[in-house]
Amino acid sequence: MNLKKLIVFALTCIITTQTFAHSRWILPTHFNLSAENGEWIMVDITASNETFNVDKAMGADYVQIITPSGKVTRPSSTYKGHRKSVADYFIATSGTYKLTNNNKPAYMTTYKVGEERKRIWANKAELVGKIPKNAKEIKTSYRFARIESYVTMNAPSDNFQTDGTLLELVPVTHPSDIAENEQVTFKFLFNGKAQKNVAVEVIADGARYRNDPQALKLVSNAKGEINFTPTSAGRYLLIAEHQEKISGSALADKQVGSVFLTFEAQLN
Amino acid sequence: MNIKIAGLIIMLLSLFSFNTNAHKSTVHSTEITIELALKQQSGEYHRPYVASWIESSKGKSVRTLLLWREQAKWLKDIRRWWRKAGRKDAVLVDGITAATRAAGKFKLSFLAQNDDKIDLNKGQYTLFIEVVRENGGRAIIRQPFTLDGNKESFTLAATNETDQMKFSVLPQ
Repeated sequence: MNLKKLIVFALTCIITTQTFAHSRWILPTHFNLSAENGEWIMVDITASNETFNVDKAMGADYVQIITPSGKVTRPSSTYKGHRKSVADYFIATSGTYKLTNNNKPAYMTTYKVGEERKRIWANKAELVGKIPKNAKEIKTSYRFARIESYVTMNAPSDNFQTDGTLLELVPVTHPSDIAENEQVTFKFLFNGKAQKNVAVEVIADGARYRNDPQALKLVSNAKGEINFTPTSAGRYLLIAEHQEKISGSALADKQVGSVFLTFEAQLN
Repeated sequence: MNIKIAGLIIMLLSLFSFNTNAHKSTVHSTEITIELALKQQSGEYHRPYVASWIESSKGKSVRTLLLWREQAKWLKDIRRWWRKAGRKDAVLVDGITAATRAAGKFKLSFLAQNDDKIDLNKGQYTLFIEVVRENGGRAIIRQPFTLDGNKESFTLAATNETDQMKFSVLPQ
């Protein structure tokens, strides 16, 4: 990957673009478990803008569960329906498990033909012959979405490895410690470094039954951190996105990272 | 023989010095009494899971006083106690576990000591009682108190899961 060698300029303003993608999330049946001999969890996997009602099934092919010892494991079984996929997993040992449903980083090009917006999964060098000659507003992004959650059985452990690819969320407050009316701190990295000005939304469960989705909007500070206090116990979806221009690349104009984290705030 | 006697003297001396130190910062032999009252319920009834514990002024659990429970898989439902104490210490959980009780009144008494049976330092604490019942509700009662050698007595208001209760701090 030559991307790391490219000179990167911070955007001076946040460009709001209509993204093609839905919100995507995974929702485990439990975030915190007590057990002597292990417990089963099931996980819903969906692309849905409604927190937490499922909409379009995402495949479970990319679902990975990172065990407390750092081992990458797979669900014991999965099923794909029309509205959601589900994955079954046995939590065998105590500690914190990281659940992810991440695809691979990829190049996406958007363009317009007349008034019609189109997209293609290709980088700038691959476009010849793949898009019409009259295509306009051609923009290519290198993007990666992380869809993740944490499940803890008995004593929590740190399971927050990073890989330095685009946007990453590092819990400062352990997900298993999140409780109503207590401050939560999360940190964002972009290409491995603390990133300020990451745009974040935190949305409580039950959006279907509210007129106002009541998304809490936050921006990361100079340390890359956000702080917020859930005012009620329940399940929350955090959506974060950050993009940076890429200059002088033959492959892409910008790089876009996003994170979809599902967590619960416990009763206090 | 002489070595044994010397050893004994050193041991006694160290015990003595430990006690004088303890006397300065801790409240020796303070008794904590709780008259726990689990409310009579109508309809389907499962005995509640109950935990009572003491947190420091910083919200850290320093002592679990009691745990009435059955299966481990429901311990997480004693939400705050599980987060503050239970999940971190399986040995403690095993050590204090007792069976669940039916609705009724229970006179309980404890020493104001931490989980390691060392007298608690003087200071501000909070007593917690958390009651969770399958197909029922959850109640959490919190009562701040002070350990400073003075007697304190509190009336804990009734909840959906508990009747009015008494809680006393009694220096001996």
